[in-house]
Amino acid sequence: MTDSNRVVGHESVGESASVETRLTARGLTHGFGDGAILEDISITVEPGEILAVVGPSGTGKTTLFRLLALFEQPDSGTVEVGGEDVWAMPDEQRLAVRRRIGMGFQTRSLFSTTVADNVAYGLRVRQSWRTRLRDAVEDAFGQTEPSPTVERALETVGMSDKIDRDARSLSAGEAQRVAIARALAPDPDVLLLDEPTSNLDPRNTAAIESAMREARDRGIAVALATHDMQQAQRVSDRTAVLLDSTCIESGPTDRVFETPSDDRVRRFIEGKLVY
Amino acid sequence: MLGLGDLNLTYLVSITFVSLYVSTLAVLFSAAIGLPTALAVGFRDFRGKSIVTSVISTGMGFPSVVVGLVVLLLLSRSGPFGEFELLFTPEAMILSQTVLALPVLVSVSLSAIQSVPQDLRDAAFATGATPADVGLLVIREARYGIVTALLAAYGRAISEVGSVLIVGGNIVFSDSTSFTRTLTTAITVEARKGNIETGIALGVILLALVLSVNALGARFRDRTPGGERQ
Amino acid sequence: MAIQRRRFLQAAGVGAILGLSGCTGDSSPPQAGEGETTASGGTSGGATQELTLATTTSTYDTGLLDAINPVFEEKFDARVKTIPQGTGAAIETARNGDADVILVHARGAEDEFLEEGYGVNRRDVMFNDFVVVGPADDPAGINGMSSATDAFAAISDAESTFVSRGDDSGTNKKELLIWDAAGVSPAGKWYREIGKGMGDTLVQADQSGAYTLSDRGTYLATKDNVDLEIHVQGPLKDGPTILKNPYGVIPVNPAKYPDVNYPLAMAYAGFLTSPEGQEIISDYTANGSQLFFPNALSESPQFDQYVPEDYDGGNTSASVSDPQFEQWVSENVPEDF
Repeated sequence: MTDSNRVVGHESVGESASVETRLTARGLTHGFGDGAILEDISITVEPGEILAVVGPSGTGKTTLFRLLALFEQPDSGTVEVGGEDVWAMPDEQRLAVRRRIGMGFQTRSLFSTTVADNVAYGLRVRQSWRTRLRDAVEDAFGQTEPSPTVERALETVGMSDKIDRDARSLSAGEAQRVAIARALAPDPDVLLLDEPTSNLDPRNTAAIESAMREARDRGIAVALATHDMQQAQRVSDRTAVLLDSTCIESGPTDRVFETPSDDRVRRFIEGKLVY
Repeated sequence: MLGLGDLNLTYLVSITFVSLYVSTLAVLFSAAIGLPTALAVGFRDFRGKSIVTSVISTGMGFPSVVVGLVVLLLLSRSGPFGEFELLFTPEAMILSQTVLALPVLVSVSLSAIQSVPQDLRDAAFATGATPADVGLLVIREARYGIVTALLAAYGRAISEVGSVLIVGGNIVFSDSTSFTRTLTTAITVEARKGNIETGIALGVILLALVLSVNALGARFRDRTPGGERQ
Repeated sequence: MAIQRRRFLQAAGVGAILGLSGCTGDSSPPQAGEGETTASGGTSGGATQELTLATTTSTYDTGLLDAINPVFEEKFDARVKTIPQGTGAAIETARNGDADVILVHARGAEDEFLEEGYGVNRRDVMFNDFVVVGPADDPAGINGMSSATDAFAAISDAESTFVSRGDDSGTNKKELLIWDAAGVSPAGKWYREIGKGMGDTLVQADQSGAYTLSDRGTYLATKDNVDLEIHVQGPLKDGPTILKNPYGVIPVNPAKYPDVNYPLAMAYAGFLTSPEGQEIISDYTANGSQLFFPNALSESPQFDQYVPEDYDGGNTSASVSDPQFEQWVSENVPEDF
């Protein structure tokens, strides 16, 4: 199941459906003022695979992920979901596409409310205002049961027992796991994780990596930005290497790590490339 | 009852009611205008933003009497909006109090809103929120500061005397019910008559009112889901 | 003030009950209006009309209007919105068309208001007088002076502290007129303009051991709260005529502001100057003293109430009105006041 070839083959009906959820960036160039942060980057995340985007800090991984999450329009190039240029769509359709993408961040990003409320956030904003108002009123007059979706998402990250906790009382690792549950709860087709485990202890890191694998196994296209080579090697199916604002190498993880075609990649993997 | 001997109950109740009515509506209106303004100013970068924010904070110290005079000029029968015959009505007072409460509300809630980390807004956006959802989330995240802003605006509105005196006219009907007399303008009447004790007694009522509103606000703040828990 | 209001309502209520039971006395003012009340009772289902009255604080703060307005309201099925301001502010409010009628006490300003065409049909309503009050130790030595201008000159010479309303009220206008007549332009640290109402001003004068000019009504109503004494009496107690304090009622000219309620304003002026209104004024007391003396009723015509004060071939002011005023005083004010 974890074999990326299964997806690349496009064999079953299920997979032909998931082709539409492939996330592709073509020729992305983006920058602020003086210099380009990203230059002519093309990248594809297939459903049911984990793509690791590696590179030293400051090479634009975060900028790339923000473009993939549709935070802003790239200066040039396209972002496509299911083969359609997202920025050529009308706003409403783009919102619908955006809602098929979930994202986890490097920094703490939980809202000041309970764990359950945090995880339910994505579900709530997808509902009509009338329903939301009714739920808010019901919520004000007594405890409402958390939805099974919220419970399942928390199970994925191993945080079911913390469902009623105040999010502000969680440790950094726990908060990161809940944040990933929040991204997973609306059942996205694409999951973008920007350095989700930097500065986390091994136990929380393992829980997050396991959640990533489970998402991949459900057919979600997972992209992971990391500066941790070992993690990339451990979890990803394919790896793209970002260096000097551009993508200098990409391919199946094993191949990239064993026989890098670019000498800079080899030195980076061996930890000899210092910036 | 501390110097209130020569004020009857109808009078006290109705001036208190007018005070509450005018200030509450004024704060609601300024919240309806002010919170979206604070959101817009807080999140957007535009040329002259620092000028806008300093204009807003200057507005906090704007003399209420001047606001009263401007509203008087506008609403007077000889002024541009004279045909609506709003001068010397509670509505005129609500208007001037809204103008006075607005800068306080915007200014205080702006700093609360700006202290909500960008990361949370990004997280909401990435979780599928529309700009309106993000705005609501920010208000929720900044609720302590916003409740403080509402209370500060309420305090400004209910304790203000200069403009309500000018645009309201300090009217009481002959059956002792107030039309446009508030606790504060009633105090000016007592002061004018030299009834210092009665004036102070009215001031104590005003203080008690502001105190209860603050207590109510603090209670609401603490009971909000996800708020400070016991 | 509210005690008086309650007492009045009680009295009115008792009067009404007596009236119904047929045991009528001639003492209950509401009875005079009973016929009209019944007549207007047919319209009580209709909209109650509103009258905006801009007036001076002295009529309001003394509680006089609380005695007059309920009777008027009952008779005419009206509601009076009273805006207590200084005379200057009240006239300004009317000048902007924001009041239907004014009741004020500054004849010069009233004449100007009429001449500019903002007001019509001025009527004299009542009068009382001003008194010069000050600390008991009387540092300027003015006690018992029979001339207000001499007293003001003495205060100025001694540079004794004097507190001025400084708010363009009728009292303030009168005070400035007296300084002018005394040939003094008050200046220096002893002269303090405070921009406050009469009661505040009396309290502040009391606290700073200062002299001030007060209308007798407010002084009497405030007397319990301050230690000031009257040093120069007004004409009600044989003082100089310059301290007279006549009140006039002026409806706003409907030709200037078509939206004003002119008929009701005229009704109000008519009511104040009617025997019934005049009786309420003369019956009204505070601290046991009568505060205002009605002067609308007269055997002979009083032309001077309609024409500018100085109308007499443009000669010296008060040539007509002062003798008239002295006559009122002699007719209306009891010897032992």
